Amino acid sequence: MTRLWYLFGEALTSFRRNVLVVSAAILAVFISLALAFSALVFNELVNLNTIRWQQGNHIIVWLQDDLGPIAHTDLLGQILAYDEVKSADYFNKAQAYQEFQEMFADNPAILDEVDPNVLPASIRIELTDVDLYESVQFRLVGEPVVRKIDVQVEAIERLLSVTRALSAIGIGLVVLLTTSAVVLIANTIRMAIYARREEVGIMKLVGAGNWFIRIPFILEGIIEGLIGGALAVGAVLFGHYILSGTSTDFFIRLQVSGDFLLRWSVAIFLFGGFAGFIGSSLGLRRFLKV
Amino acid sequence: MIRLEGVTKVYDGGIVAARDVDLDIRKGAFVFLVGPSGSGKSTLIRLCLREERLTKGVIWVAGKDISTLPNWKIPYLRRSVGTVFQDFKLLPSKTVGENVAFALEVIGRPRAVARRQVQQVLELVGLSTKADRYPHQLSGGEQQRVSIARAFVNRPPILLADEPTGNLDPATSVGIMRLLDRINRTGTTVMMATHDHAIVDAMQRRVVQLDRGRVVRDQRESGYEGNLDSTIEGKA
Repeated sequence: MTRLWYLFGEALTSFRRNVLVVSAAILAVFISLALAFSALVFNELVNLNTIRWQQGNHIIVWLQDDLGPIAHTDLLGQILAYDEVKSADYFNKAQAYQEFQEMFADNPAILDEVDPNVLPASIRIELTDVDLYESVQFRLVGEPVVRKIDVQVEAIERLLSVTRALSAIGIGLVVLLTTSAVVLIANTIRMAIYARREEVGIMKLVGAGNWFIRIPFILEGIIEGLIGGALAVGAVLFGHYILSGTSTDFFIRLQVSGDFLLRWSVAIFLFGGFAGFIGSSLGLRRFLKV
Repeated sequence: MIRLEGVTKVYDGGIVAARDVDLDIRKGAFVFLVGPSGSGKSTLIRLCLREERLTKGVIWVAGKDISTLPNWKIPYLRRSVGTVFQDFKLLPSKTVGENVAFALEVIGRPRAVARRQVQQVLELVGLSTKADRYPHQLSGGEQQRVSIARAFVNRPPILLADEPTGNLDPATSVGIMRLLDRINRTGTTVMMATHDHAIVDAMQRRVVQLDRGRVVRDQRESGYEGNLDSTIEGKA
C-alpha cells in the first residue's frame, strides 16, 4: 500500500516538475477529444434532424374524402400489393389533425384558424428502393380516390447523401483526432522520461524493477488523459447546453438526448484515460531496455 | 564473491574493452583495478552490473552466473551490489536523507525500517546532521559520502566503485578511502577502479592492472606501479 502511494506520489511529482509539458499533453487530449465529441454530437444532431425523412413517407398520397373510408382501405390494400412498396400506412382525418396539432403546438393562432375537417386523409408509402418511385406514381395517377401525390424522393436522396458525407467526415475526424491525442501523449511521456533520465538511470542502478520505474509514467499518462477527457466532456456539455438554449426554430432540433450525452461523456472520459495509457506505454517502450 | 573467466567484451564497432580476463575476488577482499583511461576498468565494472552484456566468458557475482541472467532478474543482482561513481549520481531534487532512502524505497522496504537504516548509515559516513540538505549545498567529498551511504544502506555483500575520488582533492580523497576501508572491514567485498597513484600506494591492497583490456599484473598488497618480485601474473 505504501508502495502504491509512493508510485502515485512520483507521478504527481513529475506533474509538478514538468508543468509545461504536462499541460501540453492535457491540452492535446482536451482539444482532440472535445472535437471528436463535438463531431459525435453533430452527427447525432444531423441524424435526429433527418430521421423522419430517412425512413418512411417517400410518397404521400392525399385522398379524396367524398368516396369514403372503404375506398381508402381498398386503395391501401392495392398499394400494399405492389412489389416496390415496403410498407404503407393509412392516416385518417383524425390522425392528420393530431399530427397537425403536434407540428404547430407552439402556434395556437394557426391551430384556431384551421378546421379539423379540412385536413385530408392520406396513405404514406415507404419504398423498398427510392429509385422506383416513378412506377408507383404512374400507377396511382388515374385512381379516382387520389387527390394528389407528393413524391419526396429527390429531396430525400440529396439529404441522405449529405448525411452520409457528414457522418464519414465526422468518423474520420474522430479517428484522426484520437490518434493524434495518443501520439501527443506518447511524446509527452517520452519528454518526461527524457527530463528524468538521470533519475531513471539511478533507479536502475540501485535495483529498481522495471515496473517500479514504469508505473509512475503510466499513471502520469492516464491522469493526463483523464483530465483532458474530463475537460473535453465539460466543454462539449457546456457547448451543448448553450446551443440547445438557442434553438427556437421548430424544424431544427439542436438538442440531443440526455442518455446519448451521458453514455458518450463516460466513454470519452474513459477513452482519455485509455489514450493516456496507450500513449505512455508507447512512449516508454524504447526507454526501458536494461 | 566475484569471478571472471575468460571474459571478453567487444563493443559495436570492434573496440575490444576486455580481452580474455580471468579474475577471482574472494569475499571480504579489497581490490584496485588500475590502468590508463581506456584500459577497460570501467567496462569490467559495467559488466559486473550487467549494464553491458559480455561477448564471451562467464561472470559470477555473489554466487550467480550473471552472463545468463534473464533481464527481469537484473534488478535483484543490482540490489546485492552497491555502486559508487565519480560523478556521485545523486538526485538534485531530493535531500541527502531522501537520496539514501531512495535505494530502500525502490526495493520496497517499509518506511519506518528505512528511516532507521538511513539514520544509521548517515552516521557511519559522518553526515547525520546534514540529512535535510540538498546535494548542491554539500561539498564534493560530502556528496560522495552520500552516494556511498546510498550504496551501502541495504548492506550489499559487494561494493563496486568507479573512480570514486576522481573529482575530489587529495585530502578529501583520503577521507573517502577511509570510509571505503571501514565498509570493507564489515566484510563487504570492494572492487574499485582508479588511476590515483597516491591512494593505491597508501592502501597497499591487491592491485589488478589492466592495459588495453588485458590483465597485465595481479599483485597482492601492492602500490600502483608494483614491485616485480611479487608479480603473480602478467608481463608488466
